[in-house]
Amino acid sequence: MTKTSSETKAPSKTLFKAAPVYSSSDYIDRLVAGETLLPETPENLKEVVGVLDAYGIVLDAYSINLNYIAEHQFLKLVPIFKYFNGEITPQKILKHLWHDRINYEYAEYVMRTMMWHGGGGLETYLDSDDFWACCSPAIQAKIRLNPILRSLNATFPNFLPEQVRQLCYYSGLGQFWRVMSDAFMYLARSYNQGKIKSLAEVVALVKSELVANATQPITYSVEIGGTQYDIIPESVGLTFLPDTAVPYVETIFLRGAPFFGTVSYNAQAQQVPIDQAQFAYGALFADPLPIGGAGIPPTLLMQDMRHYVPDYLREIYQRSKRGQDDIRVQLGQSFQKSMFCVTEAAVRGMMPYAPDTEDPKEQVLNRDYLSGWMKRLSESRLDVVQIKD
Amino acid sequence: MQFLIQWSWLIPMYGLVGALLALPWATRLIRRTGPRPAMYINVLMTALASLHGLLLMQAIWNTGTQVVSFEWLSVAGLNLSASLDLSAVNLIFLELTVGLSLLAQVFAMGYLEKDWALARFFALMGFFEGAISGVILSSSLFSSYFLLEMLTLSTYLIVGFWYAQPLVITAARDAFLTKRVGDVLLFMGLIALSTYAGSLRFDDLYNWVKNAEITPLAATLTGLALIAGPTGKCAQFPLHLWLDEAMEGPSPASILRNSVVVTCGAYVLIKLQPVVVISPITLDVLIAIGAITAVGASFVSLAQIDFKRTFSYSTSAYIGLVFIAVGTEWPGVAFMLLFTHALGKALIFMSVGSIIYSTNNQDLTELGGLWSRMPATTIAYLTGSLGLTGILPFGCFWAFCLGIEFLWQEHPLLVGVFLLVNFVTVLNLVRVYRLVFLGQPQPKTHRTPEVGWLMAVPMVTLSTIVLLVPGIMWRMALLPPLAYFNLAAIAVLVGSGVLGLAVGWYLPLNRAWSRSSMMWLRVLQDWLGNDFYTEKLYEGTVVRLVSRLSALSNWLDRYVIDGAVNFVGAASLLSGEGLKYSASGRSQNYILTIMLGVGLVALMTTWKMW
Amino acid sequence: MLLSSLLLIPALGALIISLWPSQLEPRQARLGSLITLSIALTLSLYLASQFDISNPGFQFAEQINWLEPLGLTYSLAVDGIALPLVIINSLLSLVSVYISGEVKRPRLYYVMLLLISSAVSGAFLAHNLMLFFIFYELELIPLYLLIAIWGGARRGYAATKFLIYTAFSGILILGAFLGLGLLSGTGSFDYDPALAQTLTMAQQTVLMGALLVGFGIKIPLVPFHTWLPDAHVEASTPVSVLLAGVLLKLGTYGILRFCVGLFPDAWLQLSPWLAWWAVVSVLYGSLAAIAQTDMKKMVAYSSVGHMGYILLAAAAATPLSILGTEMQMVSHGLISALMFLLVGIVHKKAGTRDLTILSGLMAPERGLPFVGSVMILGAMASAGIPGMVGFISEFIVFRGSFEQYAPQTLLCMVGSGLTAVYFLLMINRVFFGRLNVSLPQLGTPVDTLISGVKWRDRLPALALVLLIFAFGLQPEWMTRWMESTTTTFVSTAQQVAVQSGEKPQMNNAL
Repeated sequence: MTKTSSETKAPSKTLFKAAPVYSSSDYIDRLVAGETLLPETPENLKEVVGVLDAYGIVLDAYSINLNYIAEHQFLKLVPIFKYFNGEITPQKILKHLWHDRINYEYAEYVMRTMMWHGGGGLETYLDSDDFWACCSPAIQAKIRLNPILRSLNATFPNFLPEQVRQLCYYSGLGQFWRVMSDAFMYLARSYNQGKIKSLAEVVALVKSELVANATQPITYSVEIGGTQYDIIPESVGLTFLPDTAVPYVETIFLRGAPFFGTVSYNAQAQQVPIDQAQFAYGALFADPLPIGGAGIPPTLLMQDMRHYVPDYLREIYQRSKRGQDDIRVQLGQSFQKSMFCVTEAAVRGMMPYAPDTEDPKEQVLNRDYLSGWMKRLSESRLDVVQIKD
Repeated sequence: MQFLIQWSWLIPMYGLVGALLALPWATRLIRRTGPRPAMYINVLMTALASLHGLLLMQAIWNTGTQVVSFEWLSVAGLNLSASLDLSAVNLIFLELTVGLSLLAQVFAMGYLEKDWALARFFALMGFFEGAISGVILSSSLFSSYFLLEMLTLSTYLIVGFWYAQPLVITAARDAFLTKRVGDVLLFMGLIALSTYAGSLRFDDLYNWVKNAEITPLAATLTGLALIAGPTGKCAQFPLHLWLDEAMEGPSPASILRNSVVVTCGAYVLIKLQPVVVISPITLDVLIAIGAITAVGASFVSLAQIDFKRTFSYSTSAYIGLVFIAVGTEWPGVAFMLLFTHALGKALIFMSVGSIIYSTNNQDLTELGGLWSRMPATTIAYLTGSLGLTGILPFGCFWAFCLGIEFLWQEHPLLVGVFLLVNFVTVLNLVRVYRLVFLGQPQPKTHRTPEVGWLMAVPMVTLSTIVLLVPGIMWRMALLPPLAYFNLAAIAVLVGSGVLGLAVGWYLPLNRAWSRSSMMWLRVLQDWLGNDFYTEKLYEGTVVRLVSRLSALSNWLDRYVIDGAVNFVGAASLLSGEGLKYSASGRSQNYILTIMLGVGLVALMTTWKMW
Repeated sequence: MLLSSLLLIPALGALIISLWPSQLEPRQARLGSLITLSIALTLSLYLASQFDISNPGFQFAEQINWLEPLGLTYSLAVDGIALPLVIINSLLSLVSVYISGEVKRPRLYYVMLLLISSAVSGAFLAHNLMLFFIFYELELIPLYLLIAIWGGARRGYAATKFLIYTAFSGILILGAFLGLGLLSGTGSFDYDPALAQTLTMAQQTVLMGALLVGFGIKIPLVPFHTWLPDAHVEASTPVSVLLAGVLLKLGTYGILRFCVGLFPDAWLQLSPWLAWWAVVSVLYGSLAAIAQTDMKKMVAYSSVGHMGYILLAAAAATPLSILGTEMQMVSHGLISALMFLLVGIVHKKAGTRDLTILSGLMAPERGLPFVGSVMILGAMASAGIPGMVGFISEFIVFRGSFEQYAPQTLLCMVGSGLTAVYFLLMINRVFFGRLNVSLPQLGTPVDTLISGVKWRDRLPALALVLLIFAFGLQPEWMTRWMESTTTTFVSTAQQVAVQSGEKPQMNNAL
């Protein structure tokens, strides 16, 4: 009946009156001056490192599983045991049924979102004839002895190739997260050894890891009937930074997909933009408060991380009003902070010139580059994470 | 076999027990591990219910219809009993609803895999299914009402599943209130019938109707009240708006909502039909409601650009035909139509759900080119379409054919309604097929691999069932011999379908400009697209009336009644001083209390002297 | 002695707490009250177990002559109408003590709660008009003080209003009782329908009218209801629970026992108008509830609406409808107590009850999901969704009343539909949507303001929910205590009416 505004009460920025108001040039000044986007406080440092520690462990599991599915569940129509990584024991089945396990569904959700938005060299390759030439032999080998699949493939010619494209994304995201997981675990080790003292060092470390792996090749091949089939051969030239990292930041950090739990898909309501580039549902934009509720997929990630929260972070959470009862929301908030650090690392990594350049021309170009980013982030939760407790 | 019958009360219980068992996860008592066990438990419970139903069906085959009764409450001359009527028809519909519920739940295991509130969802599905299977089997109006209300509640909770989403909030509210309007009217009818007839068991009511002594006015009012409940449940004009809004709920629930729930409401109507005949006006009203909804909703469905909504209106249209069948006293047509429609529509909604899942979108104008990449989904859509429309030999053909046949002589106009619904449905299915499955992929359908097995298996299973339905109906001798069919009826029916196909195929479709540039067409499109602005109509009438009245009573309260009280209090009691009612006036209040107390005691001790 | 001990034990507890020699910690005072009321509850359950459900009359009678010249005897007895109310009183008193947290002046506070419990038990158990009246008045003063001392900001206003209204109610009732004793010429204050038979119809009507207004204020019926929302809004949660759950029942009990029971003729004559009055009360209360923005006020107005059903059923006075009044009293007692309890938790945790401010409390991690879920159940129970006690009570009320007053019954059923409207508005605003409790005076991000609810605090709500479901699914457990009394209650009254020879025509509409 009536859809009054008091009914809907959309969250508004007025909620956060205490949030300091920064303009985008303030942030740019900070970046140029070598300061971090996230305020440099001891609490923030602990939160960011602690949550990245847990995230590293979870990403490790996700990445292993994504790669496993890509390599060992190739075109299986009913992959009941796809989350078992090949280790099927009664005990593991019981744990699986009791849902005492990592929520690999989240990894697949991220994979699908990344695939749906596309971008980068991976998408271009998957649409090319080269890909078709690579995947056809593999498909033929796989369905040779399966009349149902053969007839399906004949009637619906794009069915299996599209599945293979999806498997490429499984593999691509698996390889990307492999690197990120190692980086975050290395960060946590360094912090525990006392080598990391500030957020700036966190950003620097992540940036150096990104840069170090930038040209690592992204490849994918499967073994069918003893023969190795290259689906993404190295010759295609896909590499870590431009073809997985950059699309990942764009699709997961910035764009994302609307959550069923907060956005209506009703076509007439037109809440979801027509242009995917206008999407602003990503990790840097999402509201962590509804985490744990219905229709909020990141809950799965927070649930996975809650098991690996280091003690110093757990202590911080314990001190809050609800203790660890709302740990998933608190993890979500910390996670968002840490993702701003990772984004900053990526932004710094791709900056055209050194931030402390003296050349005015270079300074202008740097500022142009940064203001482009700040424009993207203007509606993000960057202002909210500035609030100091 | 006897114990199966004795224990038949378990059938509604399976779902309810499943719901209860899911509570530890739904209420977050268990939170270190995930909620999936609740999901498995409920699927298992539904499977058990389905198995029990199948075995019962076999048992009944030999013994004939059985009635199992339980005394519920017997007070002051009023007997309320719950009883299950284990007849073949009831059990077929039980299998239909439980089976669809099972498929929808398996579908939901895939569709909602990324949702952490699974336990709540499956608990609600269990509750839902328990209530529905109870309604189907129930042989007393009292227990039917009891369960229908539980259904209303679970509709509210399932539509409200994503309670933080603004449109969901209004949708859940409207679904509850609209159904509630129907339910309260039904409740009135129930109270009246209970008083007049003395019993609420359908058998007793049927007997009572034969020689009921009741004024025509009372009969008409009772009849109208009785059909109000099903009208709300089946989303019929004028209580149809909620189904559109209910599409905000999760797709697996939409599968059930558009197939099973509406069936459930219509099923109660069919059971009530022998009672409703007491008032001929009511029968005419039923026909009118059915016809208006069938025609109106058909056209509205054509103008929708939302994937789910276009088919939800078509649901209303089909149930409108069921209303016509009941109003013209052809329950057989109604049964068959309900059965075949439920299967076809469930399948269509599965395919819709799978597309929403893989494209993050339900806007028809942003879809396209999916067919060759999504075989299960495409097959499901096509099979569902076959099952829904009058195409020989699939499901709805027979129902349409019989309906047209029976109405041929007496109600030629209603034959037109049947043909129109068939025509528009075919047209709409073709229109949507062209928009979604054919053409070039759009940006949002650029990468759409087929959905996983948890969603694909139910689609394939149900597709197979829909294709087998004619055979099943034939085996069970539900189809009349072919010789009885009127060739002319078949010809016009097939003709309407072919015409729909042709128009749908050649209709110009423009994705970018879904609204026509021609003024009159655009107005018409908007008018239909917004469901004749029914929402505005509600707002201007009922909602406005209630809110005005409530504002009035609040105003009366604050200024008239309270004003008078304060005035009297101020004038009479403490000479206008103490009744400023301020905190500082408290001491005076104590004094007042004490004075009253003392006065009381004085009064009593001096009693003699009075 | 069983009945006396039911009212003496809380009184004794009150005495001990008030005279306790050393300083009493709030915790200790609460514990003492809890023990006292647990004993009282156990005793009342024991009473139920000993109660002969096939005997429609008064049982366990106790009598001590007191002020015989005044006709005042200390006479207690219990029947199927009083028994359920006595148990509900013991139960809700215990609940209200249980949910009392830190209070200032704890000794006085708990003494007052115990006194109310004792007095209310006394009023339900009394078997003498004067004795009833004394208990009826006795309960006023502690309640007045509970509102006036421990209430909210406008407690003075609310308490005074409450006092004036109920004092007026008391005067009317006393007048009617005295009049009955005086005019009947017997000087007897027994519960005896024969008393009024010697009176003329006019006299009966006047006396009954006085009682009707007197108890109508207590119930409250429109237009005597405006004290109730104010009292509720200012009262603390435990007091609201008692007020809604138990004290209002004194009014309906009075109507049933004295208006219907003592003046059957006059009642029968007025009853068509009373049924219309019930319609007004139900619709007015429900409509006013829709317009409220304070959760507590909304629940309070909902009480006005729901208590109206009881007047309707009492007016119809069929065996079924009289049973309905009793069931509705129990059902309203449980449901309204639950609703006030939950509103109290929301107020305590979120700091406000304003519907325009609260939103999204269903959020699982930072909101109050338990309270929200139970609130949905309570609202549904109130709206008469089957499976819960509200439905079957309403069903019996409507089914019993329809025979007599069909149009009035149908209009009252509209109120049942309106219940869904206002409670859904409340649930949608408060619990659905994005979590947001922005207090205007605080500029902070308020997402973190709400603390969680401990299991200890959830317990009473859970217990009430269990009862609501138990009686809803198995109403037999509730009706068995009432049925024989409520059935014969009417026939006794009708017999008397027939004997008096001037039975007015039943107004059989439709």
